[in-house]
Parts: sequence; C-alpha cells; structure tokens
Amino acid sequence: MIDAAGTPTAAKLRSRRERLRRRTLRMLALFYVLMLLPLVADAHGERAQMPQLRMSTVHWFDIEVSTTRLDVNDEIVVKGSFMPSRFWPEHVESIEGTAFLNIGVPGPSFVRLDSRVNGVPMIRSTRFMRGELYHFEMRLKARKPGRYHVHPLINVKGTGPIIGPGRWVEVGGNAADFRLEATTLLGQKIDLEHYGFANAAWWSLFWFVFGLSWFVYWLLECPIVIPRFKRRDELGVDADQMITKADRRFAFIYLTLTLSFIVGGYQYAQASYPITTPLQTGRVNVPPAERPAPTVKVEMVEARYRIPGRSFRIELKVTNSGNSAVTVGELAAGNLRFVNAAVSKVVPADEDDLVAADSLRVENGPVQPSETRNIVIYADDAMWETQRMTTMIKSPDANVAAMLFFYGADGERHIVEIGGPMIPVFG
Amino acid sequence: MAQDAPAAPAPTRTAVATSAEQRRAYIQFDLLIIPLIVLLFMGIFSFHFALLVGDWDYWVDWRDRRWWPLVTPLALSVLPGVFGYLLWDRLRLPVAGTLTILCLTFASWVSRYLNFHLFADFPMNMVWPSTYIALGLIFDCILLLSRSFFVTGLFGGFLFGLLVYPLNWPLLAPFQVPVELHGTMLTVADLLGYEYVRTAIPEYVRKIEQSTLRTFGEAVTPLTAVFAGFLNILNTWFWMWIGYLGAKSVWLRKIT
Repeated sequence: MIDAAGTPTAAKLRSRRERLRRRTLRMLALFYVLMLLPLVADAHGERAQMPQLRMSTVHWFDIEVSTTRLDVNDEIVVKGSFMPSRFWPEHVESIEGTAFLNIGVPGPSFVRLDSRVNGVPMIRSTRFMRGELYHFEMRLKARKPGRYHVHPLINVKGTGPIIGPGRWVEVGGNAADFRLEATTLLGQKIDLEHYGFANAAWWSLFWFVFGLSWFVYWLLECPIVIPRFKRRDELGVDADQMITKADRRFAFIYLTLTLSFIVGGYQYAQASYPITTPLQTGRVNVPPAERPAPTVKVEMVEARYRIPGRSFRIELKVTNSGNSAVTVGELAAGNLRFVNAAVSKVVPADEDDLVAADSLRVENGPVQPSETRNIVIYADDAMWETQRMTTMIKSPDANVAAMLFFYGADGERHIVEIGGPMIPVFG
Repeated sequence: MAQDAPAAPAPTRTAVATSAEQRRAYIQFDLLIIPLIVLLFMGIFSFHFALLVGDWDYWVDWRDRRWWPLVTPLALSVLPGVFGYLLWDRLRLPVAGTLTILCLTFASWVSRYLNFHLFADFPMNMVWPSTYIALGLIFDCILLLSRSFFVTGLFGGFLFGLLVYPLNWPLLAPFQVPVELHGTMLTVADLLGYEYVRTAIPEYVRKIEQSTLRTFGEAVTPLTAVFAGFLNILNTWFWMWIGYLGAKSVWLRKIT
C-alpha cells in the first residue's frame, strides 16, 4: 500500500483516518457514559478533615435519628448534644465568634422545618462557648427519595464545617408528591416549591425577547461584519454617517420604552406588593445547658500514640468527689467511640457508625469516692488508621482532646473533657 | 530554429467574481463569526460573573439592598464597556451591551436549570437569575444617540448602576413579603434559604446590608443605587479605555 516514493497510498490513509475516527468516537462515548453514571456520594469527607480539627473543636455525642426509613413528606428528627472543646486550636478561628447549626445532607434532599439549640430557634447564626454543653434538635421533612448519610454539623466562620456523626436514612416515595407551604404575615398561603417563579420567568422572558429584538434589528442588514468594517475604514472620522436617521429614531424609541418598562414594572410591583421587608439577618444568643457541679475531675498527665500498634495510651489523674466509685466507660475523640465493654454496651447504629465496641482498656480503676488516683486507659483499634486519625502527628500544635464518659456504680454518667499535648511513639 | 515561447502566466482565479458571490461570502462569514462570538460571550461573561458576583446572583436570599446592587453593576459593565468600544469603533455597531448581557442571561438560565435545579435539586424559584438586559439596551441606545464614549460612560454607566434594583424589583418583590417562623420575622426569600438546606452556605456567609451610612433613615436602596451609579461611571470609562487599548491596530500588526 506504499507507492514507489515510500508514501502511504490514499487507501491506507483513509483506513488510518477511519481507525482514528472510531477510536475518538469510542473515547467520547466512554467519557459521556462516565459523566452520566449516577455516582453516589457515600459520605461527606469526614475523614478528609485533619484529625486535630476533628478532636479539638466540637465533641458530638448521643446522636439519634427518630427513624431511618421514611417517605417523601414524612418528618424526621435528628437530635443530640455537643460540647465545643476547651482545647480549641489557637490557629483556627473560634466557635465563640460566629457559628451556625446546620445539617449535612446532599443538597435539599430534606427541608429543614425547625432547628433548635437548648430550645432556641437556630434560624440565624449564633456563637457557642467553649467547654459548655448544648443540646440540639432538628426537624426535617423528606423531599427526594434516596439513601442519605445525615450528619449534624456546625459551620464556624473562618474555620468551615465541623461535622458530627452520620446516620444512614432511607427515603422512599415520589419526589413529585413533595409539598411545602407557608403562610405570609399578610395571610396568603404560598407553595414554597413554586412561589414567585412564574412571575420571575415571565419578566425574564419579556426582557430577553425585547433585548433580542434590538439585536435582530441590526442583524437584519446582514451581511454586517465585513461590509461595516470596510465602510468604517473608508469613512474614517466621518464614520458616524453609517448611523442612519432611522437607526437614531429606533434607538430613541427603544430607550424610551426601556426606561418606561423599568419605571412601569417598578410601579406595578409596588402596587402588587405594597408590604415588603428587607432580607433579615442577625445573631441569636443561646444560653448553655445547665449542668450540676462535676463530681469527677480529670487531669491528663500524659498522652502517647503508638503508631505501629494504633494504640493511644493516656494517663489520667482522676479525683472522684461523688458518692459512688467511677470508671471510664468510653473515650470519644473526633467522632470515634472507643468503648469499655466491661462497663458499657454500645451497639453501632449502622455499618458506618464509628464505634469500637470493645476497644478500651482501663488500668488501675475504678476510682473510689473521695479518692484521687492515677489511671491509664488504652484505646486500641484499627479505626485510628482507617479513619485517618494517625496523621494527628502532622498537626501544627500536636495537641489532642477527647471526651471521657465515666460511669458510677449507681449508673450515673459523668462527662469530662480531657486535652493536652500528645507524643507520638514511632517504634 | 524556432524557440519555444515562454509560458503565459496562468489566469488569476478568485473565489469571488461577482457582487452576488461577494455578498454570499460576507453572509457566510457572518454565519460563522456571529455564533462564535455569541458562544464566546456566553462563556467568558458567565465565568466572569460567577467569579465576581456569584452567590449574589445565584440565590434569591442574597439579593440585599446594599451589596447586590453595588457589586453587580461593577462586574456587569466590564464586557459592555470593552466590547462596546470595540464594536462601535470598528463596526459602528451599538449592540455590545445588549448582546453580551443576552448571552450572560441565556447561559445563566441554562446553568441554573441544569446545575442548580436538575443536578442539585434546588427549586427554580430559589435560584432564578436576575435580569439585566434593559441595562445593556440603555447602554447601546445612549451610545448610538450620543455617538460619544464620554457621554455613554457618564449617562449609560450611571443608569447601569442606578437601575439594577428597580429593574429587578418586579421579579424580587414577591420574595420580600414577610413571613413568621418560630417567632422570628423573615422574608419569603429568607425562609427558602433556611428551609432548603445548603450545607456549605451557612446563614452568616450572606452579606446582608453590612455597612455604615445609616444617616439617611430608610433610604437604603436609593442611596446605594445613586452611589453605585456614580461609581459605575468611572468603572464604565475604565473598561471602555481597556477596549480602546484592545482596538489599537498595533495588535493586528503584531499577529499579521
């Protein structure tokens, strides 16, 4: 297929072009298939957040969802508690500045009907104080069918979202059945899914057609680009002669109409909606939850994380001023829960509930009433690795924080936060 | 011996021999170049607008009385200014204001419908794009009538800033009707913003009337509109000057 001069023949070239064309088409088809595949986002990148941020910012606990299966239009309540850490990293903006209670779901798959912290509506932003206890509750309404990992979260200004533990929730039914209504202060009942859209679309279409007609007026003298370019060059400083009297008249009419439509539209809107208010914003104040005086005081003496064994060893000085002996039932750090099975039975809520049900060992416990004693706890589990907590050694401050849940012989739970420097052990 | 005469030069052939053919070629050029320019304007204007205005135009609960009407015209005047100069100076065509904003509007509607509504599931009444086409029309008409960039910047630029809010008020007013939620007064737009969850856009990110200049009482909107108008005069002149730099034939000489 090569001629005497060594160049490929026309048939050969055609065949090559055909192969190239087919290959390109195949690649394009593959690209579009990959683009259109319904990829499911399984979670919200909790593991991507640096461990120190997860451990030393907000401690979430007692997270519950009222149901894990519901239909479109059904409601679900997500509730629990959180405590902003006393050991909040200095290099990160504090939750005592500006914060907002939010819900981590993929877009508006749910709508938020109500959200409260310590009973205060969280429509607006607020601030939370470090070391204080807050109870939250969010009431959501299912909008789109699907399976969602629902997380509570707090957006902190300058820091970003601090995400809490997630729960899988399955929504069935039909999205088209979704209804959401509200009543204005003027007594009008409105459908929030569609309210105001037809009006906005009508005005947009009107202006689009009106603007397009101006452009079409100039297109009508087609061809325009080269002839006008040449004529403009020929006329030089007299190029304004290209604008005819009809053009000027047309422009004057358009300018007058445009200004009239703007003024008329404004007047019409004022007459149709005589009572409006500007967008609302502001801060609300949330008082912390009241707590009884703590009877268990804890000081972190030393924390060492042994990287090869995925083992956290923490030595604590515990003072028990209560009436019954206490021992550690759980260590919670960065949404991971390490449970002492001898004290507390915890069953994971679902396959992604980050609970290591028997991973906490306590040496030298329990602590008797009126006693101060040093105890050592070991939190050993592969979750440190799988949840990417081992990169805590790369933090700029090498501090850690966690919640300890002590249980008394009388069944009472005592919540204490610990924190301080952490030393990694490499060997 | 008769010598071979030198070969006569081949007659020059041109694709355009008659005025009808020339007209056809010009039309073909228009058919090629105008859709390309439309696509170009759609791409660069929507990208530029997304970067500089972004959420202010994406969400109905961001369009406050102070920042939205101030930020928007400053970003919106860029393409009409630059291409207004180019098209007027080179073609005497007063269409850049309208055409660029038509392209932006079309691209915005496509994006809101496909990305925000179909993909991200937000209702369209929360994410409809504002309308600005009238501002482009005013710009073009003033340019044509005055035949002056100075006057166009002065009046066109001023009206561009002044009229953003009143132009959009017929679309926006229904969303600023008051409602009550759990003992708090909100607008319908605020209610949409609260109820339709946006994980990465907390309430405090919105910039709602954060500023000083409160001495004029309730006159927040007119004050902002006039201030935006004055600021936009300078802005429009500046971008026309950029158009003037771009229209210099030195660039053409460099690439030819």
